[in-house]
Amino acid sequence: MELIKRHKALTAVLSLLTLLGVGCWVYQLMFGLSVTGMSNSVSWGLYITMFMFFVGLSAGGLIVASSASVFHIKRFKAVAMPAIILSTVCICLAGMFVLIDLGGIWNVWRMLTGPNFMSPLMWDMCVITLYLVINILYLVNMKKGNDRAVSVISRFALPCAILVHSVTAWIFGLQIAKEGWYSAIMAPIFVASAMDSGLALLLCALAALKKAKVFNTSKDLFASLAGLLATCIAVDAFFIFCEVLTMAYPGAAGAETLAIMTGGPTAPFFWFEIIGGLAVPFCVLVFAKNREKAGLVIGSSALVIAGVLCKRLWLLFTSFVVPNVQGAPGIATDAGWAMAGAYAPTLPELAIVIGVVSLGGLGFMALSGALLVPAAETETVPARAAKPAAELDFDPQTA
Amino acid sequence: MTKYGMAINKTRCIGCQTCAYACKMQNGVAKDMRWNRVLTEGCDVPDGALGQYPTLSRTYLPLACQHCENPACQKVCPTGATYKDDQGRVLIDYEKCIGCRMCMAACPYNARVFNWEEPVHEPDFVYGDARVAERAKGVAEKCTLCKERTDEGEEPMCVKCCPLGARVFGDLDDPESEVSKVIATRHGYQLLEEQGTRPQVYYYE
Amino acid sequence: MSESQKTLSRRGFLKGAGAAAGALGLAGAAGMTATNNWLAPATAHAEGEERVAHLCHQFHCLTGCNLKCTIRDERVSLIEPSDLMSDDTHSHICLRGIAEVDHIYSKDRLQVPLKRVGERGEGEFVQISWDEAIKTIADNLKEAQQKYGEGAVFIRKSTEAGLDFDFLTQLIHADSGGNWGLDRGQANGLGPAFGPWSYLPNRSHWEFKDAATIIELSHNPLESAMVWSRPLMDAKEAGTYIVCIDPRFTGTAAKANEWLPVKPGTDAALIQGMLKALVDNGWYDEEFIMAHTSCPYLVDRTTGKSYRSAEVMAPSTAVVSGEEVGAPLVWDTVTNAPALYDDPAVVPALEGEWDFEGAKLVTEFTLIKEWLDGITLEWAASTSGIDQETIVALTDRYANNGPAIIDIGLGGADKYTNADVLGHATAMLVALAGQYGKKGAGYGSYCGLGANDPGSTLNWWSLPEEFYYGESPVSMYDMPYQENNIHAALTFGDAFTLEAGAANDMLNWVKSLDFFAICDLYHSSAVDYADIVLPACTKFECEENVKQLRDSLGHVMLANGMIDPLFESKSDLQIERLLAAQWGYEDYLPKTYEELARFMLDGVAELDPRMEGITYEALLANGGVMALPETGPDYRPDGTADFFLTPSGRIELYFEYLYDQGHQLPVYEDANEAFESNPKKAQFPLYFTQGKSRYRIHAYYSACEWFAEDFGPALNIAPEDAEARGIQTGDDVRVYNDRGSFVATALVNRSLQPGVLFMAETTYTRYYKEGFLQNVTNSARLERGYSMFFGPQIPYNDVLVEVEKA
Repeated sequence: MELIKRHKALTAVLSLLTLLGVGCWVYQLMFGLSVTGMSNSVSWGLYITMFMFFVGLSAGGLIVASSASVFHIKRFKAVAMPAIILSTVCICLAGMFVLIDLGGIWNVWRMLTGPNFMSPLMWDMCVITLYLVINILYLVNMKKGNDRAVSVISRFALPCAILVHSVTAWIFGLQIAKEGWYSAIMAPIFVASAMDSGLALLLCALAALKKAKVFNTSKDLFASLAGLLATCIAVDAFFIFCEVLTMAYPGAAGAETLAIMTGGPTAPFFWFEIIGGLAVPFCVLVFAKNREKAGLVIGSSALVIAGVLCKRLWLLFTSFVVPNVQGAPGIATDAGWAMAGAYAPTLPELAIVIGVVSLGGLGFMALSGALLVPAAETETVPARAAKPAAELDFDPQTA
Repeated sequence: MTKYGMAINKTRCIGCQTCAYACKMQNGVAKDMRWNRVLTEGCDVPDGALGQYPTLSRTYLPLACQHCENPACQKVCPTGATYKDDQGRVLIDYEKCIGCRMCMAACPYNARVFNWEEPVHEPDFVYGDARVAERAKGVAEKCTLCKERTDEGEEPMCVKCCPLGARVFGDLDDPESEVSKVIATRHGYQLLEEQGTRPQVYYYE
Repeated sequence: MSESQKTLSRRGFLKGAGAAAGALGLAGAAGMTATNNWLAPATAHAEGEERVAHLCHQFHCLTGCNLKCTIRDERVSLIEPSDLMSDDTHSHICLRGIAEVDHIYSKDRLQVPLKRVGERGEGEFVQISWDEAIKTIADNLKEAQQKYGEGAVFIRKSTEAGLDFDFLTQLIHADSGGNWGLDRGQANGLGPAFGPWSYLPNRSHWEFKDAATIIELSHNPLESAMVWSRPLMDAKEAGTYIVCIDPRFTGTAAKANEWLPVKPGTDAALIQGMLKALVDNGWYDEEFIMAHTSCPYLVDRTTGKSYRSAEVMAPSTAVVSGEEVGAPLVWDTVTNAPALYDDPAVVPALEGEWDFEGAKLVTEFTLIKEWLDGITLEWAASTSGIDQETIVALTDRYANNGPAIIDIGLGGADKYTNADVLGHATAMLVALAGQYGKKGAGYGSYCGLGANDPGSTLNWWSLPEEFYYGESPVSMYDMPYQENNIHAALTFGDAFTLEAGAANDMLNWVKSLDFFAICDLYHSSAVDYADIVLPACTKFECEENVKQLRDSLGHVMLANGMIDPLFESKSDLQIERLLAAQWGYEDYLPKTYEELARFMLDGVAELDPRMEGITYEALLANGGVMALPETGPDYRPDGTADFFLTPSGRIELYFEYLYDQGHQLPVYEDANEAFESNPKKAQFPLYFTQGKSRYRIHAYYSACEWFAEDFGPALNIAPEDAEARGIQTGDDVRVYNDRGSFVATALVNRSLQPGVLFMAETTYTRYYKEGFLQNVTNSARLERGYSMFFGPQIPYNDVLVEVEKA
C-alpha cells in the first residue's frame, strides 16, 4: 500500500480512469457490444488485441523470472519478484479483456458446464487459469521465502508461460478461414514477441520502481536484461521475416494479405513494428555501451512494447479486411453493407481499455507496495554484492 | 443417417434477392442482419459487371451458412453452443452462446451475424415463423436450413420462394434424393473447397 | 387493428402535434411512429394467435401472384407463395411480395387525413378529421365544376388503387386525363400492323423453350418481374439462343448468349439493318407473306393511299381511326387486274407496278423494297453501334434457324419519341420472316397480361347511364403545356410525378390548381403538393373480411382474411363511398367489397359455363382461390397468324394514315434528344436512362425499410465517365440539364455503356438529398403521336444530362 499512499495523484488518476472504465463497461453490458466499433465484418477489436498483448506481456515477465530458477541465472533472480508481480497483473488484465469482449458474459458459466475441448478458447481458459494459479503460488512462496517451492513452481511456470502464449497464438493460428492467421509459426512468433515485450515492460517497470525508490535494480543487471532484450528482438524479427517470406514467395493468397499488411489499412502498424519496434531498438541495444544508458534502454523498451502492440493490431485486423468470398453488397453491418472490413474503436471502448490498464497500474502499485517493501531490504544484499556476483552468471550452488 | 444439404443452380440464379428476403422474413432476422445474402460475384457494386466493355459478365452467388461437414465454427465454439445435429445441420443453441465470436472468426464464409445489441425489428414486431426461436443481445445467429420447417417436412423458405426454382433441398445421404442426383449429374462443387470445411451446400452451373 | 391500438395511434399523433405547436411538420409526422408504440401487443388478441389470409397481390408488375399470408396477433407476419393454386407453375412470389411484411407497416405510411397549412410543396400539414377531409374534397370538386364547368375536375386512379372501378370519375363526369403516355411507344407502331392489343403475344411464354432463338428487345424481365424469368431460364437451359438488345448490361443481358449494346434510342436502326439483311438475302418467308400480310396489297403511288375496293368493305375497321374502309385489292396475275385480296381464285403478285385507270399501282412489298434500297447496313451499324456482321448474323439466326420469338419490353425503348418507328419496323421484321402464329414463334411483350392463362368471366359493376366519363381534351401529361380547363384534381396515387416527365413543369402547374387532393398509402412525391391528403389502406387491410375480387393467372381470386385498416386509413371503396355520399350518389356504389364480389360472380356460370361452381361461397370455402377449368401447367393457347384486329384481318405493314407525315413505312428518325449528333450533347453529353428495378414497381416500395437497406436513389455511371468527373461510388452527384437537377448517390458500374447513365425509376422525393429524377426528364411530344392509337408517349429515356460531384 506504500506506493499507493505515496503517489496520491497518480493513484487518484488511475482510480478515476478505472471507474470511468467500469462505468463504460456497465454501459456496454446494458446496450451490448454495439457500443464498440466492432461489426459483423470486423468481429474482434481492441479487446482481443489487448488480450493478446497482455498475455504476451505477462508471459515475458514470467519467462524471465522462472528462467532464473530453472536455468539458475542467479542475477535474474533479483528481479523475480517484480517480474512475477507484473506477470500476475498482466494475466489478470488479459483475462479481463476476454471477459469484457464476451457479448453474453452472463452465460460464461456454460464454459464449465458444457466445455468443448476442441476449442482453442477453452484451452486458453484452462491454461490462463493454471497460469494464474502458478503466478499466485509463485508470489506466495517467494514472499514466504520458500526457495524449494519456488524452484519447483518455476519448473512448471516456464513451460506454462510458453504454453499460455502458444495457446493464444493457436486461437488465431489454427483458423484456416483467415489467411493472415493460419500459420504454424504463429506460436513461436507469439512466444518471441512475448519475450521481448514482456522483458521490455519489466525493464520499464524496474526503472519506475527504482525511481519510486521501492526496488532497486543494479545498473549492471539492467544492462544485462537489456542485452537479453536485444536477443529476443532479433529472434522475433527472424520469425516475422520467416512468416513474411512464406507469405510473399508463392505470390498467391498470402501475398494479397501481405499487400494489405504492407500497403493497406494496417500498414502503418506493420511498418511501425518493423522499424520502431524491431529495427531501432535492436540497433540501439546491440551496442553494450547503449545498454549502460538507462534512458536509451527505457526508450528502446518503450518502442518494443509499442511495436508489439502494433503487431497485435496488424495481425488481428489484416485478416478482417477482405472477406474470403467477395462480392457486392458485402457483409451486413450496423452501418450498412460493408465491402471491406473497417474498424475504429469507439470512445466507450477506449475508455474501457484505459480503465482496465489503469486498474492494472493500480494492481501493480498495490502488489509492489505490499510485496516489494520488505523484499527491498533483502534485495539490498544481492544489490550490494552485485559486483562480485557479476562475474558469475550461472551459480551452480543454487542448483 | 440424414444429412441435409442444398444445391444451388447458379445458371438459374438471377440475383433477384427473393431468397435473401424470404430468409429475413421467415426467421425474423433483425435490422442490419442477414442470414442469407446474394452477392454479385467479384464486383464492388451490386449488379455490377466484370470484364472490359462490351465483353462483360455477371454472376450471382447466394451465400448463407454452408452447413459444413467439417464445420470450423463448431470446432472452436468453447461451450458447444454451435453443434452439428443428427440431421447434418450446423445449429446454434442460443442459450449456450457466450458471445465470444470465435465462430465468426473461424467461418470462412462470413455466414454468421452477431447481436451486437438487442435486435431491432423493422417493422416493430417479431415477424416470421412463430416456431423460430427469438435471439437476444449477445448471441451469434445464422441460417438453420429452416430447421423449424424442415423438421416438419417442409422445404426451407429460400427454396420455397425462389422464383426460378434454382434451389434444391434434400438428404445428401440418400443417393436417390433430387439434391444428390443434381450434385452428381451437374458437377456440383463446394465453395472454398480448399478450406476443407466440406460444405453441404453445393453450387452448380 | 383493435380499438386500443387506434386510441394509441391517435394519442401518439396528438402528442407529436402538440410538440409542433399545432402546425405539424412532416418530420413530426414521421417521428410519431417512432415515439408511439402502436404495434404494442393488442390486448384484444391472445398472444401468438395465428390465422391465414390469401389475396391477389400486384397487377402493377403484371404478375398477379396469389399470396398466402400468416397473420399473428393481427399482424401480417409471414408471406409465402399461395398454396391454393392449381399447380406449382402458378404458385410464385418474389421479393416484392415478401417485403410487404415490412412495407405494410412502413414509417412513411400516411396515417391520418391531413390538411395543408404551408405553401404547396413545403409539406406542412395538420391532422383533420375524416369528415372534414371528405367534405372539403367533395365541396371543392363541385365548386370547381360549378365555376368552370364539368370538365374542370380531373380524377385519376393509379393501376393499383384498391378498387378496380372508376366510380368517382363517372359520378361527376370528371376528366380522367386521356392518354396515359406510358410504355406504349412500340405498341403505337405495332398496333396498326397486328392489331391494337397485339403488343401482348397470343401464345404462352411457357413456349419459350420451343423457340430456337429469343430476342429480348429492350426487355429485362429478370429484374422487372422476376416470376416471369422462369420460362426464359427454362429455355436457356433447354438450349434456346437468347439475344438481348439493350443499351445496358441488364440482368437479362447477363444471362443471354449474346448482348448487343445499342446506343440509346437507336434500336430501330438495328432492326432496320436486320430488315435490310432479311430482304437483300431473300431470307423472308414468301408463303407466310402471301397468306398473312398486306405485302401484296396495292397502293396508289400518287396519293400514297391504299388502293381499296369501293364496294366491298374490309371486315374490320381501321385500327386508329375506327372508321370503315374498303377491302384492300391485290394485283391478280391471272386476270392482270386488281382483285379482292381474299378472293381464293386470285393469284396475287407480290411485287410489281402497274398503271391502272390512271392510278399508279404498286404492291406494298415493292414499296418496302424501295424503301430498304435507301438503307445501308453501314448506316444501321454506325447508328446503332452494332457492327454489320453481327446484324447479318442475328438476322440469319432469326430468319433461318427455326422458330424465333421477339420479346419486347414495355418501357425501355418505348420511352423515346421514335418508339413507334421501332414498333413498326419490328412488326415488319416479324411479318416478313413469318415468325408468328406457330409454336415457338411470336412477338410482343411476354408478361402476365399475355396468353399464359385463360381469363374468367365476371360481371362489371356499371353505373346508371347518367354517370359517364367526362371529356378528356388534353392528356394529363400535356396539361402544363396545353390550354385546358382543369382547376381541381383528385388522384388516387401519385399521378403527377409518375405519369409525366419534367416534374418542374408539372408541379408548377399543379401549384396553379385551385384545389388538389390525393389519396395514397405512402408519403409519395406529390403528397407535399396536395391540399387534402387521405390515407388509404393497403391490399392487406379492409374494414371487412374480404376485399378485391380479381381474375389472375387463370384463377379467380377473392382477397380475404384481411386485417383492420391501420392507423386511421380506409379502403378505397369506403373512401369513394364517403365522397359519393357528399353528392348523394352513394347508393349507386356497392356498400361493401363483399357486395361487389357477390355481384361480380352472380350468375356468371350462365354467361360462361367455365365459371360453373365459382361462386362467392365456394370461393371463400376454398380460401378465396379457384382455378378455371383449363388452367394448368400445360395450358398453351394456339395463337395463330390467321386473324388480326386490322381491317383486312391480316398483318398490315403500310400505314396509310401516316402517309401525310411521311411515316407510312417505318422511316427512321432520331429520338428527340438522345442521339449522337445532337448539338445539345456539347453541354449535356450523357444519356440519362431509367428502367425497372427489382426493388420497385415504379415508385412503389420507396418506403420499404427492408429494401432501403439494399437500394436507394442511386445513379449508375460507367467507370470512364465517373473517372472523367472525379466521381467514386458513394459520392453524392448532381444530375442536371436545362429542365432541372437532382442529387443522387453514384454507383460506378461497369454494366453501363460509356456515355450512358442509368437509374431505377423514380423514388419518392423524400429519399433524395435534393430533387428527384423526374426533374430532368423530357416532356417533348411527337407530333404524329397525337394521331396514333395510344397517343404520344412520355419520352422518359430521351434525355441528355451532365453530372458533377454534388
